[in-house]
Parts: sequence; structure tokens; C-alpha cells
Amino acid sequence: MMDEIRRKQLTDKDIQKRLMRRLSHSHPTAWIFFTSGVILFLLMLLSLRFGAAELTWEMIGEAIWNFDATDTAHVILVDLRIPRVLAAAVVGASLAVSGVIMQALTLNPLASPSIMGVTSGSAFMIALGFALFPQLSHYQLIFWSFTGAALGAGMVFSIGFFTQRGLTPVKLALAGSAVSALLQSLSTMIAIHFDVARDMSFWYAGGVAGVRIESVTVIALIGIIGLFASLTLSRSLTILSLGEEMARGLGLRIGWIKLISLLIVLVLTGAAVSIAGAVGFIGLVIPHMTKKIVGLDYRWVLPISALFGASLLVLADIGARVINPPYETPVGTLTALIGVPFFLFLARKGGRGWK
Amino acid sequence: MKKLGMTGLTLALLLTACGEENTVDETEETAEEPVQEEIETGPVTLKDGMGREVEIPEDPENIIASYLEDYLVALDVTPAAQWSISDGAGVQNYLQEELGDVPTIPYDLPYESVLEFSPDLLILRDQPEEDMVSQYAQIAPTYVLESQPTDWRGTLTEIGEVLGEETKAEEVIDAYDQEATEARDLVSENAEGESAAAVWMVDTSLFVVHPERSSGAVLYGDAGFEVPEVVSDLSGDADWAAVSLEELAQMDVDRLFFISDNGEEALTEDRLWQNIPAVENDQVHVFASDSAWLYYGPTANEQVLGHIEDSIAND
Amino acid sequence: MEMRNQKSAGRYTRQSKRTIKLFLFLVGVLLVMFFVSMGAGHLTLSLIDIFKTLIGSGTDSHALLLFQFRIPRLLVAVLVGIGMGVAGAVFQGITQNELADPGIIGIHSGSGLFVVMFLYLTSLYEGSQPWCTQLSLPFVAFIGGITAALMIYILAWKSGVTPVRLILVGIGLNAGFSALLLLVQLKMSDSDFNRALVWLSGSIWNASWQSVWSLLPWILIFLPLTLYKARILAVMQLGEEMALGLGTRVEKEKFLLLIIGVAMAAASVAVAGGIAFLGLVAPHLSRRLVGGKFLRLIPITAVVGAILMVVSDTLARTLLAPAEIPVGLIVSVLGAPYFIYLLMTIKD
Repeated sequence: MMDEIRRKQLTDKDIQKRLMRRLSHSHPTAWIFFTSGVILFLLMLLSLRFGAAELTWEMIGEAIWNFDATDTAHVILVDLRIPRVLAAAVVGASLAVSGVIMQALTLNPLASPSIMGVTSGSAFMIALGFALFPQLSHYQLIFWSFTGAALGAGMVFSIGFFTQRGLTPVKLALAGSAVSALLQSLSTMIAIHFDVARDMSFWYAGGVAGVRIESVTVIALIGIIGLFASLTLSRSLTILSLGEEMARGLGLRIGWIKLISLLIVLVLTGAAVSIAGAVGFIGLVIPHMTKKIVGLDYRWVLPISALFGASLLVLADIGARVINPPYETPVGTLTALIGVPFFLFLARKGGRGWK
Repeated sequence: MKKLGMTGLTLALLLTACGEENTVDETEETAEEPVQEEIETGPVTLKDGMGREVEIPEDPENIIASYLEDYLVALDVTPAAQWSISDGAGVQNYLQEELGDVPTIPYDLPYESVLEFSPDLLILRDQPEEDMVSQYAQIAPTYVLESQPTDWRGTLTEIGEVLGEETKAEEVIDAYDQEATEARDLVSENAEGESAAAVWMVDTSLFVVHPERSSGAVLYGDAGFEVPEVVSDLSGDADWAAVSLEELAQMDVDRLFFISDNGEEALTEDRLWQNIPAVENDQVHVFASDSAWLYYGPTANEQVLGHIEDSIAND
Repeated sequence: MEMRNQKSAGRYTRQSKRTIKLFLFLVGVLLVMFFVSMGAGHLTLSLIDIFKTLIGSGTDSHALLLFQFRIPRLLVAVLVGIGMGVAGAVFQGITQNELADPGIIGIHSGSGLFVVMFLYLTSLYEGSQPWCTQLSLPFVAFIGGITAALMIYILAWKSGVTPVRLILVGIGLNAGFSALLLLVQLKMSDSDFNRALVWLSGSIWNASWQSVWSLLPWILIFLPLTLYKARILAVMQLGEEMALGLGTRVEKEKFLLLIIGVAMAAASVAVAGGIAFLGLVAPHLSRRLVGGKFLRLIPITAVVGAILMVVSDTLARTLLAPAEIPVGLIVSVLGAPYFIYLLMTIKD
């Protein structure tokens, strides 16, 4: 392909466009986008229906069209169920998009927030925050979570930076495991010492139960900004995912793109973890699935994986409520149970991706 | 597959082996009533909750009975050290009037910390590991309680026996029952047929008390409030059962005892709470999380009774 | 891994002599550490106190402290260090990957899951029989460890097992076991939950002579077996094709070694909980000292593992005294950076 490019002596922009056209699947991707949007909407509706309190479809309709604050069912729907399902959707979308960006940046099929040490970094800083300032507000929590996400990702990235010839999939997985083990040991020390072990542990398992509207609006805002920011990078990511050499040859400013992408990843995962705890594997599974279905054009991969990620977490959250009522099953363990077989499937391929 | 089957079988065998041992031992245990030698002076030998013969010293002075301080206080005995978490930063605050000067010991009772106090009697609760008990027993006579931690009367009587304070223990129980009757009368006069619930809030997690345990036993058993449906539905294995906001918002309860350090705002501002009858009728009583509500024992229960009586008197 | 010919017998014996000297030196270091550690803790003992107590003329409380609490605990530390260190060396030999740590590839969490489930199930019986549970634990942990190892092996099998696949599958299974473990833990009561958490983080603070006796047989049986099999490991180091050429039935021997490794790791896990990175750091440091020949590596790894555990346990006991830090956390905090350093410098 490079030869062809040189021969024709086209401008960079033209080549970029041609490349994008070649990578786009011929089948109607727009339809997939539309269908997954509809599926997400239906799942979210379904999610409103299930929970400890019995709500019927009529009550839901009533609550939306004719809200009455003295009717407990209405208040539950508006103040608990809706924030919860929104949080699940935003968190799922953020994690999936982070995973997509990470895999494109590192050219590593195993790259994802939980494997890159981002989630355990957040968890560590939140544990520290809880221990030092027991009365953390939403905003402070999100701030601590960002710092932690940056810490974890920074550690894994610098390991990659200082490793000769970069991180292979195995080394990345090992580096992530080591950083996670280190940070988790520190969090456990804090948790045991300050006697917050049990609170922390449900948090480690993740979940969006009891999320309130104030925190949802904050992370929804951050999430939407992050998602749109990632869309502006989609063309560059597509080219970057073909290899740095080619990207450089096509006149891409790699340094800037990497920096901005990294920032987006940190913001998205930091926000997601601060509200839902450690929900693993969405950032690993969804990007692969999406790329398998829609091809390598990131202008479609990014929005569709956001929809897929949101749908998966909304579904897992329904599962969390109906598996063992009236108790909640931690959502993180459910996504792990879906994600582990998938990870094993990738591992059997020696971490070479799903081609 | 064969191998997996084999491992499964071995596991099952190990499990049943331990299970069978239990049933055999249980019958033995029930056959033998705790023997107590009737000697007026000198050391007494008692059989403890793990079936061990424990020689109790004549006049124990340095007693460590971690998380059982409530009972010691009720029996007018001062322990050598008291339960604590986070390096002594967290203690049972509701007992500090009596225990203010008593040094602290970490909650997991490290051997060396116990050794430091050179106790002459250790009382342990809640079936610790046998291995650990035999280690403690080398430091001082170690008595493991037979009574379930959820049965405060049994626990008090048993501790009374161990310390030779049987009569004092009886007095304490009688005095408590007296007070409980008064409280029950007060409730039936002023709040006939009302339901009540104790809700504990930590950060954003919420819990309701088990109807037969801790302050639940006082609230329902002694003071005679009705048990709301949510509370009886959730009563499982834990003293405090996690309850979701959804269930709480639907709770039909007339009087709410709310245990929280920073939750008052939530109560007044959050419209989820506003449809609970207790909140509508301004029948919410807030207590700090280090008050007696979260604990067990005669002292804690007496304080809880007091709180209940106050809440009615303030009506 | 590169094969180095021993060009002359003279060089070989010289190296063996050096290894023996080093071994004796390290044992000396271990003894010194052991002594120092005997004095350290919430209650400090001076060297004179220790000496007096050891020859039987110390105070009763000193004797109690040393003989019933510190010495068994230190012995457990030594045994766990040996077990996990050697198990790590064995795993790295089998997988031909210097980064294979039993903790990272899910052997520990497999054992842990079975142990916690076993504890949970026995706790459902009224008045469970502690001694029975105690004695069964190493076996339960062993079954869990073997199950994990078999699952890793089966899932990584695709017309042969490559080291890379093995490790990746191990990491994935580790995550799966941990998720299941959390589900079981959340079903437990508060105090059991805390107990399980401390145990899973790796803790030996309540070690007693009974723990020593339950661990010792496993080490006494499987350490000599490892040494006996070390020759085969050495052949395997030459690469599998080579080994096949030499007529070793590689897969069968691999499997036997796997069982030995799991047995030592699992027995240690049953007594001390999941202590990660020990099985990685000890063999590595030893490899730096004596090179990769297993006949030399195994004894050195055993002593180095023991030293690391004794040092970590001393820190666990003193850093936040009188409170205890689970020793596994100390090992992780020390071991993870070393592991990362290895990761950055190691050749593919």
C-alpha cells in the first residue's frame, strides 16, 4: 500500500480519505448504529421496571407524564431507577470507549482500563481519600478517582516506555497485573488499617445501585464531553491503529494525538470508576466485538462501541437485581463472569486479537 | 474430566467427614451438661463453649474480655484492656464513662498485645479458631463463651458464673426487666400499636436491625413496637441487614430511630424519605453511630431503652 | 534460554563449590535474620534476653513469647518461603517463562477459592469441628490449586502449550477466580469476611506449632522430590524439542512437576494465604547468584525465599505495632516493583 501511495504522490489528506474508505465496511454501518441505539433504549426501559420495589408499566407511564411527589412509586422511579439506569449507560459507554482508544493507541488487543491498572489506581486513591477524609463529596471523589486513574495508567505506560521494543500483549497483561497487585495491596493495607474493608470491597466489585441524580449529572456531562472529544480523534485513531510508521508517513502528529487520547481515557475511566467502582472487562470485550462487526473505521467503532458498552452494563445491572433478590449481586463480578471467558478466548490466540 | 470428578469426590468426602464429626460431637456435648464444681474458695474448673476444662483463678484482677466490656461494666468489673480499632482511635464510646481510663487493645487481639497486659483471665466469644484458643490459653486461662453472642441474657449469666458474680448477674437482669416493663407500659399508653424501625446509615449504605438482635430485641421484644414488613422480610443471618433505598422509601413505619453521623440532611431534604409515615409525622429520632444502638449487652440495651423512653416523652 | 556448555569438569566442580559456599553463607544470613526477628515486635527482646531464654534461664513470659509465639511463627515464615520460592522456580521451569508467578497465574486464587468455600460450607454446620477443618485445609487448597492448574493447562492447550498462552490464560483465570471469591465472601458474616480478607491477603500472625506441623510434611516430602526432578527440569530448560530428542517424555514429566509445584504452593497458601510475588522474586534473585541450573538453583531459592519471608514478617510485625499488617501485602509491595523491573529488562 505504501508503494502505491508514493507512486501516486497524493496529498496526505487525500490518502487519509482513501484509506478511510477502504477500511469502512461496505454493509450499512448506519443500520447497526441505529439498531444498537434502539436496543439500548429498550434495555433501559426494561431496567426501569425491575428492582426491590414493584413497579408496573402503568405506574412508570404515570410517573413520567403525571409526576406526584407524594406517591412513593413515582419518587422511586424518578429519584432512584432513572439515575441508576443512566449511570449504568454512561459508565458502560465510557469504559467501552476508553478500551477502544487504548487498543488503538497501544496496538495491543489486551489493552483495556482494568488491565492497564487504571481501575485499581482509582480504587487505591479512593481508598486513600476515604481513609484521610471520611466525608468526601461527589466532586472530591471524582477528583481522587482521576488522580488514581492517572497514577495507575501512568505506571503501566511508563513501564511500556522504559521497556525496550515496547510491551507485547503478554508483558502488558503482566505489567497490568503487577501494578494492580501493588495498588491493591496498598488499598487493602489502608482498608484493614482504617477498618473500611467491607465498604471498600463491595466497591471493588462495582455497582450502580443507590446512585443519585446529582452524581449522575456530573459524570454524564464528563462522559458526553469525553465521547464527543473522542469522535474528533476518530480519523487519527483509525490511521494510528494501522501502525505508527504509516501514521507518521501520512503526516499525523502522533505525540499530540496520543496525549489527547490519553487525557480522554483518564477522564472517562476516572469518572466511570468514581461512580461505579471497579467494573472490569467491558473495556476489553466491547471494542473487539464492535471491530468484528463494523470493521476498523473508528468513526463508527467509537459511537457503536459506546452503545454496545452501555447496553452491556445496563443488562448486567438488571442481572444484578434479579439474580438474588432482595439482595444485589455486585455488577463487577457479573461483567467478570462474562469477560473472563472472552479474555481466555483471546489468550488462546496468544493475545493476537480477533481476526 | 475423570480427574475433575475425582477432586470433586474428594472434596465432598472431606466435607461430609467434617460434617459427620460434628453431629457425633454435638450429641456428646448435649449429653454432658456443663459441670461446675461446688467449691466455695479456691480456683473453680468450668467447662467452656468448646468443651474444654478451664480453671478459673480465684480472684481474677486482670481480665481481658474484648467486645464483652458491656457485660463487665454491668457486673461492676473493670477489664485490664478494652476493645478498639484503628490503633485505639475507635472504642465503644457508649461505655467510656466507665471505661475512660482503661487502655486499649486491637480488636483482633494480637498475642503480643495480650501478653503485654499479663492478664489472669481471658474471655472469648463467637467460636474462635481452636488453634488460636490454645495459643491464648498459654498466656492465661481462656474461657470461650458457650452462649450465642446474640443472646445477651445467656451471655451475662455465663460471664457471671465465670467471674463468680451469679447473684449480681441476676440482679442486673431483674433490674433490666423491671425497666423494660416500664418502657413497655409507656409505649402501650402513648404509642399503642405503632410500628418502629432502627435504620443505620453508613455513607450511602443503609441497614435495618434484625428484629431479635442487638437494639432490635429491645425495640420489638422489650418495648413492644410492631415489626414492619420490610424488617421481618430482611431478617436473615446478620444483626443489621442491608436495605435498598427503594425498600426503605416504601417502608410503612410510624417511628424511625435513625443512626447516622451525617444523615439528617438526607432525611429532611431527600424527597425519597418524605412519604414514610414516620417522616411525615415528624417521628424521627437521630442518634450518633457510636451510641448504644449498634451494640449488645445489658448496658447498651439499658441506654437504648432510655432513648426510646425519651423519644416518647418528647412527643 | 541460552544453553551454556560446561567445557571442563574443573569449571563444573569450581562452580559447585561456589554454590555450596554461597548456600552456607545464605543459611548464615537466614540464621542472623531469624535471631534479629526473634527480638523484634510489639514487645522487644534484647539479644541477651533471647540468649538467656534459649538456654532456659529467662523469665517465664519471655519463654512463652519466644517458644510459643515467635519461634513457630518464624518457622512458618521459613517454610512458606521455601514452599512458595521453590514452587515459583518449578512453575518458571515448566512454563519456560521467567515471569510465571503462581500468584499471578491463578494458582493462589484457585486454592483460595476452594479454601474459602470450604470454610463457608463448614461454617453452615452448627458448631463445626475446628481441628478437622484445620487439618483438611492443605488438602482442600491442594485440590483447588490442582484444579486451577489443570484448567490453565486445558484452556491453554491448542496442539501444544506455549508459555505465552499459559500465562495469559492464567491471568484470565485469576480474574475469574477472584470474582467468584468475592461472591462467596460477600455471603459471609462481617467477622468471617474480615477473617477471610486478612487470610487471603497472606497472614501468619496466628501461626502456632500446629501450623508448623501441618506444613512441614508437605515441604519435607516435596522439596527432595523437586531436587530429584531438578535434572529433568534442567533438560527442559534446553527447550522442548531438545528434550524430546533426549527421550524425556516431556508432557508426563511436566505434569508430575506441576503437581509437585502446586502441592508446595497450595500447602503454603493453606497456612499463610495468598502471598504473591514471592514465587517470582526468590527464584530470580537466586538465578542472579548461581545462574539457571536447577540443581543449584533450587536449594538457593529455598534459602532466599525463607530470608525474604522472615524479613517481610519482621516488617509486618513492627511497622504498625501493635497492629499487624498481613505479611502478603508487605511481600507484594516489595515484590511488585521488582517484578516490574524484571519485566522492563527481560528479553523476549
